[in-house]
Amino acid sequence: MMKKFGEVILLLLLLLLFFVPHAEGTRYSLPGKPALTRCRSPEKETFTCWWEPGSDGGLPTTYALYYRKENSEMVYECPDYHTAGKNSCFFNKNDTSIWVNYNITVVASNALGSTFSDPVDIDVVYIVKPNPPEKVAVTVMEDKGWPFLRVSWEPPHKADTRSGWITLIYELRVKLDGENEWEMHLAGQQKMFNIFSLRSGGRYLVQVRCKPDHGFWSEWSSASHIKVPDYFHRERSVWILITVFFAFIFLIVSWCIHINSHSLKHCILPPVPGPKIRGFDKQLLKNGKSEDIFSALVVSDFPPTSSSNYEDLLVEYLEVYIPEEQELILEESKDLHDGCLKPKGSTFDSDSGRGSCDSHTLLMDKCGEAKDDEQQTDRDGSQTGSEAQRQQAAWEQEALTYAHEDMISPDMSSGRVKTWPSVFSPLPQYSLSPLSQPSSLETAKQHCLSDSLFPPASLSSYLTQPGQSTKEALRSSYSDFCSSNKQPHLLHPQPDARHHLQAHSDVNISSIGHKEAPAGLQLPTVQSTEYVEVHTVNEDDMVLLHPVPSGHSHGKGCLQMHQGEDYSKVNGVDKNNVLLLQRDVIEEQVDMCPCENQDMNGATESCCTSAQKSIPCIHTTLPVQEEKAVNGYVDTATMFPLPIH
Amino acid sequence: MLVCLVLCGKLTAVDAAPLCTNAQAGCHVLSLANLFDRVIQHSARMHGISNDLHSEFELYFLPSKNQIGRVSRNCHTSSILTPNGKENAQRMAREELTEVILKLLVAWRDPLWHFHQSMAHHHDFNNFSSNKSLEMSDMVHELRKGVQKVVEKMQMLGIISNSVSNLASPEALLASDSAEWRLMKDYDLLYCFRRDSNKVQNYLKILKCRIVPEHGC
Repeated sequence: MMKKFGEVILLLLLLLLFFVPHAEGTRYSLPGKPALTRCRSPEKETFTCWWEPGSDGGLPTTYALYYRKENSEMVYECPDYHTAGKNSCFFNKNDTSIWVNYNITVVASNALGSTFSDPVDIDVVYIVKPNPPEKVAVTVMEDKGWPFLRVSWEPPHKADTRSGWITLIYELRVKLDGENEWEMHLAGQQKMFNIFSLRSGGRYLVQVRCKPDHGFWSEWSSASHIKVPDYFHRERSVWILITVFFAFIFLIVSWCIHINSHSLKHCILPPVPGPKIRGFDKQLLKNGKSEDIFSALVVSDFPPTSSSNYEDLLVEYLEVYIPEEQELILEESKDLHDGCLKPKGSTFDSDSGRGSCDSHTLLMDKCGEAKDDEQQTDRDGSQTGSEAQRQQAAWEQEALTYAHEDMISPDMSSGRVKTWPSVFSPLPQYSLSPLSQPSSLETAKQHCLSDSLFPPASLSSYLTQPGQSTKEALRSSYSDFCSSNKQPHLLHPQPDARHHLQAHSDVNISSIGHKEAPAGLQLPTVQSTEYVEVHTVNEDDMVLLHPVPSGHSHGKGCLQMHQGEDYSKVNGVDKNNVLLLQRDVIEEQVDMCPCENQDMNGATESCCTSAQKSIPCIHTTLPVQEEKAVNGYVDTATMFPLPIH
Repeated sequence: MLVCLVLCGKLTAVDAAPLCTNAQAGCHVLSLANLFDRVIQHSARMHGISNDLHSEFELYFLPSKNQIGRVSRNCHTSSILTPNGKENAQRMAREELTEVILKLLVAWRDPLWHFHQSMAHHHDFNNFSSNKSLEMSDMVHELRKGVQKVVEKMQMLGIISNSVSNLASPEALLASDSAEWRLMKDYDLLYCFRRDSNKVQNYLKILKCRIVPEHGC
């Protein structure tokens, strides 16, 4: 019985032992291992260490910090556990050594025991974390009208930067109120900073912090608020100015363009040159009648289709145009032949008296250009025989035409026949071509031509009524003269020749004048006038003249007296364009007119005529016919077939 | 030197005194503050390099966390008495402080050179570290010369006495500079030098703000 009772009690005790501790729920243990979290020094003169306690083990635990300095075995306990708060240890200046390695350990102890933390080595130099900068001031300042922020601050009062113990560098950050992004600025060691590019009317926040050379950044200072004043109106005024300026510039440019619109248009879009075909009527083209256009271009009369109808080619009056150069004569003749065959008709226009090429009714440009070109080429002196012949023919035709022309004075009312002097009147009356001012040479040419065509005998007969036998003489002499004109030398008549001819003309004038007096025409009497006839043209382009038998007019001018004489040399030209001839003696035998008769009568004429026949005129044929135009001219058409020497 | 002292003795301004004694052409006239700034910058750079090397050493050659053995680490320059606090440093005379700086710089000339030699042969270090050790070695040499120039200028200006220059001679320091540093390991050497370069920099700043306080103090 007792045994059983003892076993039950033992079991109960064992159970109690088991359960009693569980019923209590706590268990005393050593305190947990503390850990030093950080140690910091704000000014490199003092420092503080904080630790984290572990579990306390159910019992009140105490913490102690022990440190050991470098190269020393002495263990010191923390001098100040309270200044820095709970679980901290504050080392004051006396206990702090810089550049000394501290070995710090925290010990947690309770009733059961103590627990050591892991030791930490620190050097105060490298654990410096200063306080934030103090007295941060932000102000708005202006730089030439543009605002900026000026931030100024001071180092934390504990940090001794003045003695050089600590060197701090600063950093600040700015942001607009309400935004999330900060704008960082590193300020270095300076204690003042400017912030530009501000938004007008913006509200900004500014913060500053600092750091020693080798240490930790401080905390940010408390935010300083600042409001930037509005300068929007200033910007607007600038834009207004710019707009006005550009509008002004635009107005000026548009005005300039408007002023110069014409020239600009001309420059950018040059006008398309129109057709320059003479006789081409643009109006017809615009009207769309192509037939009319092209018909206008066609010269109906060119080329001459009916060459037999010479009457069409008859020109009532011609205008003699004597170019300055002798070579031009031929060109002119050729041009006239080519281009002046258009019947001028009876229309008397203002072009009369001028060169045919200057008449507007002809293809003027063509004439003039061709003439100029040919003048140029001929000046080179290259003349072929065929060309010479052509030119001779042209010359002849021209001469004939000129003859007609000469015989007709501008005054047609008095009929075809005109007084000789009027023909040979001073050049102004002649109404020459305005293009070529009549020079002495031109005059000479005119007279030459006229003279060549009308030997004195013929002239005289011309003056008289047509139909007489003198006509024949006229013709013959005419032809003679004409043929003589065909001499190639005449192609390049020299001034001497012209003078000769002119002298001849003068003589004729005088003789005619004399001759006409008996004919009833009132002519100035010329005292000593002789008719000379072109005998030959020698190599020197000198026209050798023969005194015509005096049957025509002046007996004085009978060649008998001038036997062996020729008037082929010009003494001079007086100012009235009168050639002064010079007598020369030649060996040629000339049949003189036996009659020395100063009277103009048929006998003399006949005599001369006969004499003329024996004259070794350089001609072969007398194809001159009695044909006369209605107006009493020698039909030039009949002259065409004259042979060319 | 004597001629310069005679010429420059009358000058009272700190900044106007020329530095070149032989009146060499092209020699810039530097003020004392300018000189101080240059040396301080030089020392800052030197400390930066030493800091980098030390971090590198810790990375590659992680020393044992057993701090017990490391407590007895002893730098060969521990025999040099250096102020360990601000008050101590400010209490120290200019000449003393200058001497300390010079002693430190002199003491580290040979150890750094040998350190560089050992670094060059060590295959574990890259070229970057090797170049840094060489640069560090050169910098110590240059910094010492710079500080000596500053000392000369200060002595010229009469700021400090002439007793400093005597201590800067290498012969005087050779006796104290025993072969203790040869016993140091590379890591400890770097550790010690990092600290000493910081000291030099700090002492120079203190000197500058004490002598020429108007420029950035």
